[in-house]
Amino acid sequence: MTINYKLLDILRRGRSAHENHLIDGLVRGAVSRREFLRYGSVLGLSAPLLGGITGALGYGISTARVAAGTPGGTIRFGQIVPAAAVNPVTIADGGGITVLSQVCETLVFSAPDLTAQPLLAESWSTNADGTVWTFKLRKNVKFHNGKVMTADDVVATFDRLSDPANGSNALSVFKGLLSKGGTRKVDDTTVEFHLDAANGNFPYAVSTDNYNAVILPADFPEDFEAAMVGTGPFTLEKYTPKVGASFLRNADYWGAAPLPDRIEAVFYDDYQPQILALQGGEIDVIQQVPVLQATGLLSDPSLGIISIPSSSHSQVHMRTDMDPWKDKRVRQAVALTLDRPKLVDGLMRGKAKIGNDSPFMAAYPSTDPSVPQRQQDLAQAKALMEAAGFGAGFQTTLTTEKYLEIPDYAVLIQNAVKEIGIDLQLNIMDQGAYYGDMVPGKSQWLDSSMGITDYGHRGVPNVVLQAPLMSTGTWNSAHFNNPDYDALVVSFVASLDLEAQRVTAGKIQTLLLDETPLIQAYFYDFLTVTKAETSGVVTTAMGHLMLGQASL
Amino acid sequence: MSRFVLRRLILALLTLWLLSVLIFAGGHLLPGNVGRAMLGPFADPTAVAVLNHQMGTDRPVLVQYTSWIAGFVTGDLGESYAYRAPVADFLITALLNSAKLAAVAFVLVVPLGILGGVVAALYRGRAADRILSVVGLSATVVPEFVSGIVLILIFGVWLRWFPISATWKEDAGPLDQLYHLILPAIPLVLILFGYIARMARAGMIEALDADYTRTAVLKGLSYPQVIWRHVLRNALLPTISVIATQTVYLIGGLVVIEILFHYQGIGSLIYTAAKKKDFPMLQAGVMSIGALFALTTFLADLIYSRLNPRIRYGGRE
Repeated sequence: MTINYKLLDILRRGRSAHENHLIDGLVRGAVSRREFLRYGSVLGLSAPLLGGITGALGYGISTARVAAGTPGGTIRFGQIVPAAAVNPVTIADGGGITVLSQVCETLVFSAPDLTAQPLLAESWSTNADGTVWTFKLRKNVKFHNGKVMTADDVVATFDRLSDPANGSNALSVFKGLLSKGGTRKVDDTTVEFHLDAANGNFPYAVSTDNYNAVILPADFPEDFEAAMVGTGPFTLEKYTPKVGASFLRNADYWGAAPLPDRIEAVFYDDYQPQILALQGGEIDVIQQVPVLQATGLLSDPSLGIISIPSSSHSQVHMRTDMDPWKDKRVRQAVALTLDRPKLVDGLMRGKAKIGNDSPFMAAYPSTDPSVPQRQQDLAQAKALMEAAGFGAGFQTTLTTEKYLEIPDYAVLIQNAVKEIGIDLQLNIMDQGAYYGDMVPGKSQWLDSSMGITDYGHRGVPNVVLQAPLMSTGTWNSAHFNNPDYDALVVSFVASLDLEAQRVTAGKIQTLLLDETPLIQAYFYDFLTVTKAETSGVVTTAMGHLMLGQASL
Repeated sequence: MSRFVLRRLILALLTLWLLSVLIFAGGHLLPGNVGRAMLGPFADPTAVAVLNHQMGTDRPVLVQYTSWIAGFVTGDLGESYAYRAPVADFLITALLNSAKLAAVAFVLVVPLGILGGVVAALYRGRAADRILSVVGLSATVVPEFVSGIVLILIFGVWLRWFPISATWKEDAGPLDQLYHLILPAIPLVLILFGYIARMARAGMIEALDADYTRTAVLKGLSYPQVIWRHVLRNALLPTISVIATQTVYLIGGLVVIEILFHYQGIGSLIYTAAKKKDFPMLQAGVMSIGALFALTTFLADLIYSRLNPRIRYGGRE
């Protein structure tokens, strides 16, 4: 690989210390090209610049060319019915996100490859310590009501979401990160975010990952559902709660002209009817199908499967403050009984990636790949049980929810731990009963000594490092309390530099492997099913379905 | 007669009121709260509290109940928590849809079931009886999600004779709507046919063996006249009560069929409302089914008493 230093120097000019550090990492080989592209995009380096730098370093420039689809026609897609009124402030379910993603957009797009890509923001940059992030907005973006989007709309959007009085669902992201008043207009197309705490991954907090953060007009109406005014490639034609919706091509769209004339959403209560409808030709796309339901479709040549990696997982917790799990050797022993490759192939039909008992899935660039993968080792597991004084085994209960593959997973865990003498009673209940009132003392999720909980996708691991594991975390079902861990996470979240993040990540991964408050055995893929001849469908593991460049 | 009607009416109202108390109490005994159900497990507690306050679900249960019942008796069903829109709109559409599906299933299964039962009874112990009994019983035990999927696969996916989704386009005429409803009605026909036929057969056999039938034959009436005037009239009494109770199942109990055939009926409306803790929707749904139940049993009693004068003239019910 020959390096064109002259070109590189030109490209380096005017770059910040952090940006140059990242480039150094790429030159030294400490950062791979892929990671460079991903993290460079978070720091706000533009795509041409990123391409230029990798080019100067002799990496082949991949210009992914999307086959141009044919414009026109109507695309019909099936999706799970939105669980509530479609209101960007409160929306919390995949069904609602899918509808919203037709009409509204965020500043940043968290792409399937986990890169942060410009959407309504053209570019962004941060100050030296990551406490202030400046976003340049795209010009000539028009809302569906004809008004031009300005910094005022962006400020109003984020003030609305970060105001505790509004019952906004984005509070779970913004609490301790961005307060009301922290979003400030610099000029018509520039906005500054003054954060409550330094954050190296802030662009993800204003990306599709934080699905509530769609940019809306400053005079956001109380009844959003009536017109759904956003900036997206489609405008609302008709919305019928519980039944479906239709959208028309937005002729004034700022980006590439949308291809379909019209798109139709059909709401379903379950997956099976959607699969039948796709096979019978009544719909063209199913927004998402869980792996277990998709088994019969994976080998059907008349269908196309879009599979993207996600950090969604089923998290096993063991209460570190409660017998029999107080001794970390017992927790390690349980984790050592699991045959992870078999879980991925059998339970998840190969549509998942192996996990290493921490939120750091392999696909995150910040994950330290040098931390050894935990593998099944029954001899060691038995020895650990012996050493902990449980050589004769014990009986305990695994409490969990009836959701996706979790009941099957629970049975597999039950069988696996039998090998080391643990007699696991299963208590599988309805989701509502499992989560209960979501506060300690009134929730099986937070009170049970051992449980399995579903966790959705996140583009960066920040939230799943904090809420379920920090001593102050509100979802800490393992009751894990480790000051070293807390300090490491604070430093991870604040670091702006990929290499520094990775060093801290390695320490966190090692600590969690040793303590094993949680078991993350696999992270499953997000599957979208289309007719084979459909092209240009873009999805996110949050539930966004982007059909702007789709054609049949 | 009017005393009889009045007594039934008061009883029905009392039942409905008890039902409303039960549903309300039951719904509030379950863990979790409305705001949490809307925003999901991972929402911030502040957001949940604000939402609960906006919807008034942070008030004491008794206050919530009295404000709900005050609205209900004046015809105001309130607003759905989940959809932030009047419950009445959802309820009326769902009830209407359910009634249409029930009507199609009814029109198919009642004549078929009674005919099957009568034929089986008339040919008691012979091949026709055996075949009808076995087929009816087998069809009854096949769950609707099995027969439903098989029907969709054969007639929807492979042959493409019928639409897979029972939801029709908005401008669909009555015939088009009927076309959409045939496939989902068949599993219901399969389930109910055996039941109704068995009741009809049992009633027929009892009536055929009765003394008055022998008398009718012996006094020289023609066979069709005996069957029509004397046997059927007595034989179908129990069948009518069975059909009346099945009406409520046909309208309110079709969660599986409605979900499988993608149809917006009252069954799935109640089911999702219960899951989402959408109490105004749940209450309205359950109350309407309760009212329907009261109405159909009342109607069945009326028909019964028309056919059986012993009830009308002060006899015990």
